[in-house]
Amino acid sequence: MRDFLELAVSATASGCVYGLIALAYLLMIRPTGIINFAVGEWAMVAAFGGYVFLTKYELHYLLGMGIVLAFMLVVGWVSERIAVRPLVEKGTAILAPILALLGVLVITREIISISFPPDPLPVPYPFELQHQKYFIIGVTAVVFLGFWAFFEKTLWGKSFEAVALNRRAAALMGINLSRVTAFSFAGGAAVAGLGGLLVSPNISAHYLMGVPLAIQGFTALVIGGVGRVEGALIGGLLLAFAEQLTIRYAPIPSGFAQGVPLLFLMIFLIVRPTGLLRARA
Amino acid sequence: MRWLAAFVALAAAAFFLGDYHNDVYRKMLLWVMLALGYNFLFGICGQIAFSHFAFYGIGAYSVVILLFQLNVPLPLAILLGVAVCVVVALAVAIPSTRLEGFYLALATLALAQLFVVVLNEGGAVTGGTGGIANYRLPPIFGFQLRGPWYTAVIVFVLLMTLWILIKLDRSWFGRACRAVRDNPEAAAAMGIDVARTKVIAFTVTSALAGVAGMTYAFVDNTVNPPIFGLDNAFLLLFMVIVGGSGRHAGAAIGAVLLFLLPFWLSPLVGHHHVLVFGVLMLAAILLQPKGLIGLWDRYSR
Amino acid sequence: MGPILEVRGLSKRFGGLTAVAGLDFEVRPGEILGMIGPNGAGKSTTFNLIAGTYAADGGEVTFGGEPLLGLAPHAIAARGVMRTFQHNRPFAGMSVIENVMVGAHTRFKTGLISVFTGNAAREEAEERKKAESLIEFVGLQGLRDADVTTLSFGQGRLLEIARALAGEPRLVLLDEPAAGLTPDELERIASVIRGIAARGIAVLLIEHDMHFLLPLAHRVVVLNFGAKIADGEPAAVRADPAVMDAYLGSHAAAR
Repeated sequence: MRDFLELAVSATASGCVYGLIALAYLLMIRPTGIINFAVGEWAMVAAFGGYVFLTKYELHYLLGMGIVLAFMLVVGWVSERIAVRPLVEKGTAILAPILALLGVLVITREIISISFPPDPLPVPYPFELQHQKYFIIGVTAVVFLGFWAFFEKTLWGKSFEAVALNRRAAALMGINLSRVTAFSFAGGAAVAGLGGLLVSPNISAHYLMGVPLAIQGFTALVIGGVGRVEGALIGGLLLAFAEQLTIRYAPIPSGFAQGVPLLFLMIFLIVRPTGLLRARA
Repeated sequence: MRWLAAFVALAAAAFFLGDYHNDVYRKMLLWVMLALGYNFLFGICGQIAFSHFAFYGIGAYSVVILLFQLNVPLPLAILLGVAVCVVVALAVAIPSTRLEGFYLALATLALAQLFVVVLNEGGAVTGGTGGIANYRLPPIFGFQLRGPWYTAVIVFVLLMTLWILIKLDRSWFGRACRAVRDNPEAAAAMGIDVARTKVIAFTVTSALAGVAGMTYAFVDNTVNPPIFGLDNAFLLLFMVIVGGSGRHAGAAIGAVLLFLLPFWLSPLVGHHHVLVFGVLMLAAILLQPKGLIGLWDRYSR
Repeated sequence: MGPILEVRGLSKRFGGLTAVAGLDFEVRPGEILGMIGPNGAGKSTTFNLIAGTYAADGGEVTFGGEPLLGLAPHAIAARGVMRTFQHNRPFAGMSVIENVMVGAHTRFKTGLISVFTGNAAREEAEERKKAESLIEFVGLQGLRDADVTTLSFGQGRLLEIARALAGEPRLVLLDEPAAGLTPDELERIASVIRGIAARGIAVLLIEHDMHFLLPLAHRVVVLNFGAKIADGEPAAVRADPAVMDAYLGSHAAAR
């Protein structure tokens, strides 16, 4: 029983990280329809930021975290400016910014790979190992509550929803589309960065950590559905539990555990691409 | 006719290159083969997929396993290898045709990653993370194809691939693919079965990638997992976009350029040439979506 | 001659809204049937139901004696029903003649294997000639190899029609062919439409522009709130009090 509880806490913490990445995708997909696969690399950048400010400079955890997240806001904003805005203004198909962001993905990864030594770099835990999982769960809960409240209660949140539902109508109502887009990318980068920062003490900052996270986060998104903020978290939790339960109890070699999110992704895409939760009408 | 001349020219070149350059030349030809097929799927039919390298790998591993673990004769091994690719492609494509745009891409990406996981965990069958090595192409009619002679085989397969793709491109099927790319709803209104078109395009190009893979298996006489992973899949996409998607010449140029670029750049950027690829790709999308072939067209007026 | 298209009791609801309710009408070969009605009357919905883009909730559509409802759009096209779109939808990556040849897709009978054996070449050449004559028929000669993105709006409209005709249909559905055209272009397109009917092809068109439609159509069907309120020759329909009532205040009554 104790065994299972440990697994449950561990799965919840993992699920929270996946949920954050899924949330990052969601923040960008909803107003623009753009799937930004670079979120994984953004998580990685934040992890390296954690290394720099927390390990190297040994700043207080919250201060370091704050600096890294602020930096991620800028990274997201710059990415949107370079790879998205010129294309949206030119009126290209949605495919173009998605592909451009793949270029950004690769460039980001290479810049990090050039700037740091190749071995995984350590990032400190915010508290002791035991409590780190609760910290992750706690922070994630706060973030999700915050975004849920933002979309439900505030005017800004509602205008965001308006853009998600109908771009042209929203523009006609006076909502500034490019500002919404810029914010969604900045926010997406910060949320992805938070995910990367939270997961990095366990896996260390490494320049290859981005793509697996991007896949896991996207799978969580597909499971939960793009329509609602809560969906991202639920998708993440479901995925994490499925993963951990398979590793622990299924009679297959542990290497195949990497296959679980991939299998889930394929199955959900083929069987139920809109996800488990429906969007609000 | 021109095909014969091309074959002679490209194959003969192999005889004048030393061993090292022959190896580079062959790999370049293989990339061109892959880029041509990928270009048909992406540039002409408008479907993004990341599974091309997975099929390259399925072809390579299949032929090696069939030949050396199951002792199947070579012609049959080749046919079965192609059959495996076709079956897997159909299994992925048929359910995925309802998915739009990037969702199909992600399903194929998951497939590609799953393939690598299976290879790594495949134990004795796939040789695990180390792969399979130390085999060689059995003699064909008593003749051991080696060195420049094998390069000639690769040239032959490349030209055959190109011939198939050009024929498809210029037929009603090529037009249907383009229609599906440009406006699927209008295409359906014209009588085109959009789902069937996508499935056929995906299956044919994946099977061609598989054939390329079989050819690859005897280039280094080793097959191992990392080659078939995601990084190369991205690189293939970049090649086609930078060269000019939708045109065979564009795909070939992109493949040649991005393949040779690391050799020229390594004094400057070491093995961080991927950074240059990313920048070129971004530049292509932002500035010249028609790719290098588009630039060529513009300046040759 | 009997009707080639028969619509009986056609209905469609979107959630709580009834878009089309129990619609009955027919079209004969070589006849130009105009479908008019105020905005939201159900004209486009009817079109999309016949073309297979929407699934009907009730009724029957019979084409050449065979049922059409429930078939996918491409299957309907293969039966001989081709359509144009209200907002031009050319295939942007291809030239004018290639666009037209896409329309002929259902005429290509040789399979994929023949592409490699050379059997398809003869068919390709024949269809190319037919496409060229269609391009002349609609008046786009000289633009055969032009990039479709360089066409004017009016030329795009003509391309839509040429493309639909390439399938050698027995019925064409024209979605507001006159919208946005200059008077010259209107004349050209009216003569093209008459030419289509003269070839024995049935024409069903949705139109708002009365000046354009009334001299052109053989018969007119008027829709309001998803139901038919009038059906007959243009002059009779024009004078029908129910029709004038429906259009009260709109530009048609004002003319």
